[in-house]
Amino acid sequence: MMKVFKSITLLVAIVFGLTCGLSAKAAEHQGEETVLHAPIDGGNHGSTTGDAMHDNHTASEYGPAGEPTFLKKFGYSYLTAYMFFLSICLGSLFIVLISHLLDTQWIVPIRRYLEHIACQLFPTMFILFLPIMALAHVIYPWFSADPHMDHALHAKWPLFTRPAFYIGSVLLFLVWGYLTRRLRYWSLQQDVAESPNGGYEGRDGLVEVFITAVSTKFFGHSVEERPSVKCSRMMNLHASYGIIVFALSLTLASIYWMKGLQHQWFSTMYGVYYFAGSVWVALATSYLISLWLKTNGPLQHVVRESTFHDTGKLFFAFTVFYSYIHFSQYFLIWNAAIPEETFWYVQRERGSWWWVGQLLIFGHFFLPFLLLLRIDTKLNLNVMIPMGIWAWAMHYFDMQFNVMPVLYPEGLNITVWDPLCIGFLGLVLWIRFNSAFASFAPYPQRDPRIAETMGVYVEPEGSKNAPAQ
Amino acid sequence: MSAAKKKTSKKKNAGKSDAGNRDSAEAAVASEGFENEEMVCCESDIHAVMGVYDTPADAMHAAESVRDGGYRRWDVHTPFPVHGMDAAMGLKNSKVGWFSFVGGASGYTIGMLMIFWMNAVDYNIVVGGKPMFSPFYAFPVSYECTILLSAFGTLIGMAFLNRLPKLHNPLLKNRTFCQGATHDKFIVVIETSDPRYSQDETRELLEKTGCKHIEYVED
Repeated sequence: MMKVFKSITLLVAIVFGLTCGLSAKAAEHQGEETVLHAPIDGGNHGSTTGDAMHDNHTASEYGPAGEPTFLKKFGYSYLTAYMFFLSICLGSLFIVLISHLLDTQWIVPIRRYLEHIACQLFPTMFILFLPIMALAHVIYPWFSADPHMDHALHAKWPLFTRPAFYIGSVLLFLVWGYLTRRLRYWSLQQDVAESPNGGYEGRDGLVEVFITAVSTKFFGHSVEERPSVKCSRMMNLHASYGIIVFALSLTLASIYWMKGLQHQWFSTMYGVYYFAGSVWVALATSYLISLWLKTNGPLQHVVRESTFHDTGKLFFAFTVFYSYIHFSQYFLIWNAAIPEETFWYVQRERGSWWWVGQLLIFGHFFLPFLLLLRIDTKLNLNVMIPMGIWAWAMHYFDMQFNVMPVLYPEGLNITVWDPLCIGFLGLVLWIRFNSAFASFAPYPQRDPRIAETMGVYVEPEGSKNAPAQ
Repeated sequence: MSAAKKKTSKKKNAGKSDAGNRDSAEAAVASEGFENEEMVCCESDIHAVMGVYDTPADAMHAAESVRDGGYRRWDVHTPFPVHGMDAAMGLKNSKVGWFSFVGGASGYTIGMLMIFWMNAVDYNIVVGGKPMFSPFYAFPVSYECTILLSAFGTLIGMAFLNRLPKLHNPLLKNRTFCQGATHDKFIVVIETSDPRYSQDETRELLEKTGCKHIEYVED
């Protein structure tokens, strides 16, 4: 516990130090930041100023975020990398949730490390979010827009106000923290539930107490059960409301942190769009981690072919789902042709952003789709290992495509901050994940499905062939 | 003609009122198992040999040895899907996927060409200020055509590969098969048309797998 606390404190110190240092460095540029919002409204609502903006190809042409100052360059790169890693954490949480909801056997051997990845949402991802909170007034153009002058901002009140943004962001992390921690708590408790050495506590949290009280009071349910059965039931309970909380919180997060860069825009598909990409990249990551843990140790005899095959199949399904969602978003906007919506894609067809869009069509959809169409390629490591890495690249470019045109309207602009931010976030998460993974059993020890997934047949208790107790 | 068949035909002549008796007589014949083998005299009357097992595990082990014996025209019938049976039977991945793929690809192409021809060639009409042809608005319909034709491809391909429709299967006349395979028995059926089939060797093979009930299915 002490160790965890120390490492968290250290992390906070590092992140704050970095942010403060950068803020100080960028204080010199402060003066230029106040004049950035003229193009936003003009570019999106008034066609005359919009055309003027397009015709006027001068060096001083900025995107909706205004001049790319030092702090902005860093902030946007950091946001892109952050949204990329947030996808992996949220996607893992989703896989854990469906594992409980659908009672799958193939997720069981990989569930423990997915729980650890999901648990990175709080506090690690929260601490890593602090720089974005600190730089929010620089990153998000709406922070300095006036709701009296900007109709979109006014119409979306109170979602896009400073207090709502800060409180909402913190709330999202608290909700994720509670959900992921409770899921992992019961999963870990199940490991020791029936061990002769003890160690089982089975403390009910807020939600457990509330739901047990309700079900006993109103429905007369009083449950007497073995500890390991209770753990399974509690995980199912958290997954049951968790999937709804997950859907709402992910949508809000993607709207606040990514779509909010251009608050004038409308898209009802955006939450699903981010969700589809998240689960897609999380499945690719999970495939690679499973493979790594199988060849190098703890999951050697636990993760079997069916897990890899099913991960691959679900990855393939989400390839199709992602493109279905992204196409639908594009198609609806294209078909309706309303300026309030089309401007988002118009900006993303300028300069080399057009090529990034093509890369997403062919690299994010067609390549994985055609390669994985055959049933046996999902087990072919010569395809799947490069595919996992390719999926990371594609998802990162997807995040770039969403975030960066606001700052660099002329085209893709990879700065030194991009690899630095990816490296920093990835390293921190990897260290935190590794320490969590090393502290606990590598897979659920007493899950009712663990024997099945390992290919062992256990006679049920009470059957005539069961071994004598 | 085999003795068993004679028995049956006699009973058949006895009329409908005797149906219950006939059933029990046939069941008795079936349950006697090995002893009845002598009754079946000529191989041409036999459609298949059938090994009946009580557990999925037994049937799976039997399937493994039949597979290793190099048989090709055989099958395992179980009341529910048994995981791992396809590997135990040595079944390759189904070829139906290719039919689906060809169906889907042609469906997509046909959909796109149809809309292109209708909207941009045959009867130009401007809708909503959009271009005469654009893959965007043509996509949803082409996508539906993809699904439709790949479903056709799958269905037709499946029927073709399974040699369906088939109007008659001798197995369905067999009482042990009909009552067991949909209830609580796991049945390995090896057809006599298999090039590796021989009356003694095949029976020996099934006996070796611990089969307690071997039966011949008449054509």
